[in-house]
Amino acid sequence: MGNLGQRRPWLLLMPALAILMVVGIIPLGIVFYYSFYDIFTLQARSWVGGQWYSALLSSSRFYDSLLRSLGFSTLIMCIQFPLGIFIALMIPRGGVVRTGTLVLLALPLVVPWNMIPMVWLSLVDADRGLIGMAIAASGWDFDYKFNALHTWALIAVMDTWHWVGLVAILSYSGLASISPSQYQAAAIDQASRWQVFRWVELPAMRGVLLMALLLRFMDSFMIYTEAFGINAGGPGAATSFLSLDLGEEMRGFDYGPASARSIVYFAITACVVWAFLRVSAREEVPRR
Amino acid sequence: MTTRSRVLGAFGLILLAAFILLPFVQVVQLSVQSTLGTPEAPLGTYTMMNYRNIFASDALVSSLVNSVTYVTLNVALTLLVALPAAYGISRYHIPGRRLFFITLLAFRVTPPVVLSLPVFILFSKLNLINTPVGIALVHCVFNVPIAIWILESFISAVPREYDESAKLDGYSTSRFFIKFLIPAIAPGIGVTMFFCFVFSWVEVVFARTLTVTDGKPITMAISNLFGFQTDVGLVMAMTVFSLLPGLVMIYFVRHHIARGFVVRG
Repeated sequence: MGNLGQRRPWLLLMPALAILMVVGIIPLGIVFYYSFYDIFTLQARSWVGGQWYSALLSSSRFYDSLLRSLGFSTLIMCIQFPLGIFIALMIPRGGVVRTGTLVLLALPLVVPWNMIPMVWLSLVDADRGLIGMAIAASGWDFDYKFNALHTWALIAVMDTWHWVGLVAILSYSGLASISPSQYQAAAIDQASRWQVFRWVELPAMRGVLLMALLLRFMDSFMIYTEAFGINAGGPGAATSFLSLDLGEEMRGFDYGPASARSIVYFAITACVVWAFLRVSAREEVPRR
Repeated sequence: MTTRSRVLGAFGLILLAAFILLPFVQVVQLSVQSTLGTPEAPLGTYTMMNYRNIFASDALVSSLVNSVTYVTLNVALTLLVALPAAYGISRYHIPGRRLFFITLLAFRVTPPVVLSLPVFILFSKLNLINTPVGIALVHCVFNVPIAIWILESFISAVPREYDESAKLDGYSTSRFFIKFLIPAIAPGIGVTMFFCFVFSWVEVVFARTLTVTDGKPITMAISNLFGFQTDVGLVMAMTVFSLLPGLVMIYFVRHHIARGFVVRG
């Protein structure tokens, strides 16, 4: 093998690229191809051109779902980022409490995604659930099945439970990179708590927070398994987010429209990633 | 720190612990209850019956084996391809590296629903349906980017002189990786394995799509328990099992969880 890296460093990227080719790029090509066909079976299909695209982009349902998904992402980011950063600031920088809290924060991440809605539904179950019994005792008329506001609240709380730990862990890893001398310098300058946060802690967290922002935005924007498990998009269409519409088309074997929809969703994803990299590059402190 | 802020901090952490642990308490509590009611164990009695029922069912036991198999394969495969890539990005100026990053990130955040249909079609042609290999392979689409990200920041923390002295001693790239680099970034390997393990273990959409008749993962085995009369206790006992591997992984990386997320341009 020799000193392969020095002569052809890009060869080091080849294995990763080869895998991404098979599981990402080629499948995307297949979807792109099918998105121009009406598919009865994969053998019997007929060319329809851009019909699925124009149907999708002119349907009001698509824009409704888009707005709902944007609203949901905005809501959970407004909850999870302040909360996650606040939790990260509370964690001591060493000792057993630090390790314990980080382990605690990682716990919800290991729960399989289809278990999460199931566990939360049993929590709010009025007969046996720990929260449900408390709600019933308090006399509050909680109804996640038919009250859209309650469905949204349940999904938002569940999502926060699931993901706030990731935001906190990432924020904490940024905070941990601050050297004690930076705090001392701030103390000598008699900086207030807010000033320390604004000028010392926030800049240290900037990189990881941007990454957390991208991950949380995209994962909540395209939330599927968890939201479907709670109320299958209902009541009415109150929680039918973008991915739920796609899942519905797939289950109905509408592969042509589903393919066009997949391409549109991937285009949205790619635009968000591109914008994200533009923003993070613009504010980047020059390296080396 | 003042006493007041200490007390407030402790109170905050207790609240956090209560919020995070409550669902787990519910799961464990229901898992040791009879939730359908049988002659031996009337409704609501505490019993280990649900756990015994898991081992009485071949489908449930084999789903545990299936999940562990594809997740382990996935972690091995991810490390194998991500390590050289992370090293290359960390040490060399590679043309097109920005495009490489965009591609990685785009596929990490592409929802599985978007790719599930074509992956199914492609893998049917390659005979990768109903096998752990298929799921292990497709989970690379989100795990390889994560792994490269974490590994790159650990490798960048190792001084360059370290590689150069090894190369002067005549080590080839592959021997250098095994004898020097991997031991030097062992915590990073651990953290990477943790996150890849977890994200593969919890994923549902690909794992369901790619197992039509055989090789069902634990997540699907649990979903299949739902029916006209669902044994919630059994479901919860299975859920407890689905948490165990993750808990073991957390224990191993507990000191390093929050390391290795430095973002570079």
